[in-house]
Amino acid sequence: MQLALSEDQTQVLDFIDSLARPYATLPMHDVSLALESAELDAALVENGFLDVMAVEELGPVTAALVAEKLARLPFAVEAAASALVRPLIDPELPRPLCLVEEGRTGGPVRFLRPGATVVVVGPSGVRSFAADARLIAPAQEDTLYAYPVAMLTGLPDAMTVHEVAPAEVLRAWRVAVAAEAAGLLGAALASTVTYVSERKQFGRPLATFQGMRHRLAEDQVITNSVYWLALRAAGTGDAGDAAMALLHAQEAAKRVCYDYHQFLGGMGMTLEHPLHLWTYRLKLLTAELGGRGEQGLAAAEALWE
Amino acid sequence: MQFEWTPEQDAFRHKIRDFLHDNLPEDWEKFSEHGPASPALTAFAREFCVKLADAGILFPHWPVEMGGEGLGPWEQQILAEEMWIAGEPRGGQYMNVNWIGPTLQKYGTEEQKARYLEPITRGQSLWCQGFSEPDAGSDLASLRTRATLTDGNYVINGQKIWTSYAGLADTCFLLTRTSDDRKKGITIILVPMDTPGITVRQIPSLIGEGDIHEVFFDDVTVPETARFGEEGQAWEIVAYSLRNERLGIPRFTLARAALDRAVAMLQAQGRFARDYVRIEAARCAALCEAAGTANYAVVQKRVDGLAIGAESSSARYATVMAERAVCEFVIEFVPEALAGASAYLKMHHQRGIVAGVAAGSAEIQLNIIASEVLELPREPR
Repeated sequence: MQLALSEDQTQVLDFIDSLARPYATLPMHDVSLALESAELDAALVENGFLDVMAVEELGPVTAALVAEKLARLPFAVEAAASALVRPLIDPELPRPLCLVEEGRTGGPVRFLRPGATVVVVGPSGVRSFAADARLIAPAQEDTLYAYPVAMLTGLPDAMTVHEVAPAEVLRAWRVAVAAEAAGLLGAALASTVTYVSERKQFGRPLATFQGMRHRLAEDQVITNSVYWLALRAAGTGDAGDAAMALLHAQEAAKRVCYDYHQFLGGMGMTLEHPLHLWTYRLKLLTAELGGRGEQGLAAAEALWE
Repeated sequence: MQFEWTPEQDAFRHKIRDFLHDNLPEDWEKFSEHGPASPALTAFAREFCVKLADAGILFPHWPVEMGGEGLGPWEQQILAEEMWIAGEPRGGQYMNVNWIGPTLQKYGTEEQKARYLEPITRGQSLWCQGFSEPDAGSDLASLRTRATLTDGNYVINGQKIWTSYAGLADTCFLLTRTSDDRKKGITIILVPMDTPGITVRQIPSLIGEGDIHEVFFDDVTVPETARFGEEGQAWEIVAYSLRNERLGIPRFTLARAALDRAVAMLQAQGRFARDYVRIEAARCAALCEAAGTANYAVVQKRVDGLAIGAESSSARYATVMAERAVCEFVIEFVPEALAGASAYLKMHHQRGIVAGVAAGSAEIQLNIIASEVLELPREPR
């Protein structure tokens, strides 16, 4: 048991911090629902941050730390799947990587666009194809989720088959989403804390009212738990740990998204404040992999069968 | 980061498990329904802790200069987990090795160390914590039990409540007021429980027999040398001790073990097939594991020699959430467990009620998290 960051991990996270600094804040009044940055994406690839899992002294926990860290940015980056799942399938697969479940390919797919690699995971195995415009429904301009999303209109007749167990890909996928959710939860909490510490009503900051303090403190406990369960699942590689990590993350997301918009009042309904960039991403993640009920069933099977 | 135990730590855990397997009586599970503070378990612990001492697993985590093996915080954690899962056969003596001994070593006079440490290492002493009062619970700093220094003696008058182990304890780690300066006016006095003027009354409780008490102090007189630390130093010392105490009982491990028992009972009767039962069980397991990892993150700070701050409150609150979820799961899906069908689950439920109350209530932990982790502006006082 060793839960402190290694020197290598600290270096990686510090480097990401400095690289991401230009993307850490947003000009007011310039916030759309789904913010992306091609420059940030390119910089991450160029510096190898999405390939840390294969580096012996870094490994899957560092990959989860990278996914968590990047999810805190207001800009959405396809990092978690590339950093934590792609190495198991084929490290050379073109990005962005879009993971879909066999039999559940009709929902909104994050980062889906022509050129993206779609990986279909299910009982038939792990198969992939390069998305082209014919298989993608027109970009969903009016989507409420703060990720770029599109829909698949179908699957191609021929796909590349990958020699990897679907269960193993599902496990890593759960870890990836849990790590991403941990970062979103952390950023949403920090953003809310800043707001309620400054906003005054009845002559004092909102954050001085115990009704709010206790709920925020509980949100901190839950957020901290999601972080640790995600890292642990990355570290142990255990299927039960992965399912519990995502179950806990999806439960947490439901709870905090409500709290934070509530605490921001009218401000939480505007695009002027960036809160929605994290909460409306979290909302979509609560549906990932069939939602928390599916993770619960997967965890129960891993733990008690 | 490394989330697995080392082979040495695994071996240490198995050593304790094997010892418990070989040395606990056959009817132990039923016997452990007597709470940790019951006369039966206290008497049992006085013999059992001697065996633990002989086997080198009473205080192996203490530093070598205190007679321990210097094994460190992870081994202390493993030891605590295995004992608590087993129903805590050390009874109230777990407090001795967790925080009373180390606190004596850090703040005690030579005379106090000589007097109190040795019986702890022999498994022969039992302490109680004289903290809460009828009008000073969560607001501990408002306590009123008064100690007045007169002619080289402290004369103590007042009342304590919810005092675990008081009925059988040898010594009380007593918080008293020596001046009116709120936190700075509180002083610790180590009071032998056979001192004239002390009256102990048991309070019947849901936790188990003999667990909580009222303690009355009427002109209880002890020498000035019984003072622990300086006058007014209590708050600092207690903050140090409670940070250990909050980690002290690894309740999440018992909660997880109880959950596994409940699931096994359901499986044996074909009642673990429905999705909603399985999902709820998984949710409980996730809360237990989340609490465990949050606690381990605090232990890591201790391993690294860093000051433990409010993150121990966060870990503690996570533990309360896990305890509550498992207690509710058992009642909803295995209600017969609390009506005689499982001594183990009943024991867990009885002890679980304490999780959010003892060592600073759950709501106090939330206050600490709000101020010290989230750094929210303070509430007006």
